[in-house]
Amino acid sequence: MISKDEIKHLGWLSRLELTEEEISKYAFQIKEIVGYLDKLDSISLTEIEPVRSKKKISELRKDHVKPFTGDALEGSKNRKDGFIKGPRLI
Amino acid sequence: MVNLCSLTAEQIVKGIINGDFSAEEYISQILERIEKIDDKINAFIIVDSSGALEKARIIDKKVRNGEDEKDIGALAGVAVGIKDNICTRGLRTTCASKMLQDYVPPYDATVVKKLKDNGAIIVGKLNLDEFAMGSTTEFSMYGSTHNPWNIGYVPGGSSGGSAASVAASECALSLGSDTGGSVRCPASFCSIVGLKPTYGRVSRFGLISYANSLEQVGPMGKTVSDIVMVMNSISGMDNNDQTTLDSETPRYALRPKGNIRVGLLKELVEGAEPEISKCIYSAMDLFSKLDCKCQETSMKSIEYALASYYTIAMAESSSNLARYDNIRYGFDLSPDSYEWNAYFAKVRSNFGEEVKRRIIAGSYVLSSGYYGKYYLKAQKVRAMLKQEISLLLKTFDVLIGPTMPVLPFKVSEKIDDPLKMYMIDIDTVIANLTGIPAISVPAGFGKNLPIGLQIMAGEFQEQILFDAASLFESAANVHRSPEL
Repeated sequence: MISKDEIKHLGWLSRLELTEEEISKYAFQIKEIVGYLDKLDSISLTEIEPVRSKKKISELRKDHVKPFTGDALEGSKNRKDGFIKGPRLI
Repeated sequence: MVNLCSLTAEQIVKGIINGDFSAEEYISQILERIEKIDDKINAFIIVDSSGALEKARIIDKKVRNGEDEKDIGALAGVAVGIKDNICTRGLRTTCASKMLQDYVPPYDATVVKKLKDNGAIIVGKLNLDEFAMGSTTEFSMYGSTHNPWNIGYVPGGSSGGSAASVAASECALSLGSDTGGSVRCPASFCSIVGLKPTYGRVSRFGLISYANSLEQVGPMGKTVSDIVMVMNSISGMDNNDQTTLDSETPRYALRPKGNIRVGLLKELVEGAEPEISKCIYSAMDLFSKLDCKCQETSMKSIEYALASYYTIAMAESSSNLARYDNIRYGFDLSPDSYEWNAYFAKVRSNFGEEVKRRIIAGSYVLSSGYYGKYYLKAQKVRAMLKQEISLLLKTFDVLIGPTMPVLPFKVSEKIDDPLKMYMIDIDTVIANLTGIPAISVPAGFGKNLPIGLQIMAGEFQEQILFDAASLFESAANVHRSPEL
């Protein structure tokens, strides 16, 4: 059972402002979806190792710094004096 | 002037190199066709007319100067459309989302760069379900794409624009991305060919992430031969994507040949609508007539595939989409006067309905105490599927079944029932969970709507997939071009 309060809390964790209407709708739909995912409980998996990445960390390429041509932050709308403006912290 | 729009990529390259027509003539016809019919289909989000014409003139100049064919490129002059979740330098890449509505990437995805290096011409960006989450291309801020075979019907998704544009001859080739069937589903619904390559065969660098452990960029075209051409251009190791396989990529060829061991996955046929099952059984008969050894077989863990898939996809999406804070890229909403968390919650409420649903469900399965119940189990089911499929692929060279269990349906028909919508991905998610390659090839029609045959092979066995697909394609000879 997923309550409206739980959806509200998940919305907060995901930083999504939800309307009352959305909260009601998602509470119903996500209960249904998660109910389907519970199918995973109906099978014994104790003997099985989960899938893991094929590469070891030591096999990854070195994380070298390389020059980038172009403006990587061109898309930010609120720039001032070489800084990017964000919302206030407190 | 003959109609050049309906030519395959192979025919276009030949025509341009031989001087039968110029790249500019061809691209002009393509742009006219988009202008004329895209109002009905809504496949394109952006058309780059001037950029495409400029590139066409460059190709023509190279041909006139008698440059070597290799230097002009294996895809010289071919009009290609790119799904709008794949980055194109200087060309807006929106993911059909308000959250990226003004995003202009400062770089090309590796696949785009490789296509350009091979002479392909990017004509525009194609519609999709927002962030590739959906199976119908209805969840787009640019509105639904329509199926060229019947515009009242969905084209499939999430690469609906990529499939519809090729089917409607608005471009010869396109790229899509396939996380749980997003290339193969629309290829099936629009009667074209679509491939999900083996995980690690094609670079994901510049593909905007949704569920990294599942997705691959995949080519879409009218024929298997065109898919082979694209794969020879885009495959291979990329230092910018450490999941690409670190070994030489084979050169794929078109060699339709019999003597293939074909296994028909019983569960997939039994779960499909009657017209589809009938069509897939006929496909198996056709393989038998073409000297292939066919047999029905079973894959028991299929029952758990969809629950495993949606757990992983939603978990990975909730984590991936955490990056959209509207600070580095986004729409215009000043952060002045907002508190930190309030601003993010406010701007992120502009994600569409399906994206929000998956972020919330993903946060749920990842929340404390639930990791072992959902994500870990889903990864174990994935291991189980992998074991079962690799056993099957010792007996068979390829596994076949329907690409989709349902025929294309009407726009808006399933949009209010998310779980019902998720269920139609049952046949396609297997290849994403196990990493194997899978292709959808036109197999026929039911109620005048397209049906796709899905063929799967072992990891990095794309060649055998092409062998089987081209053998079937030339014998089945299914109609590709709808009247519009």
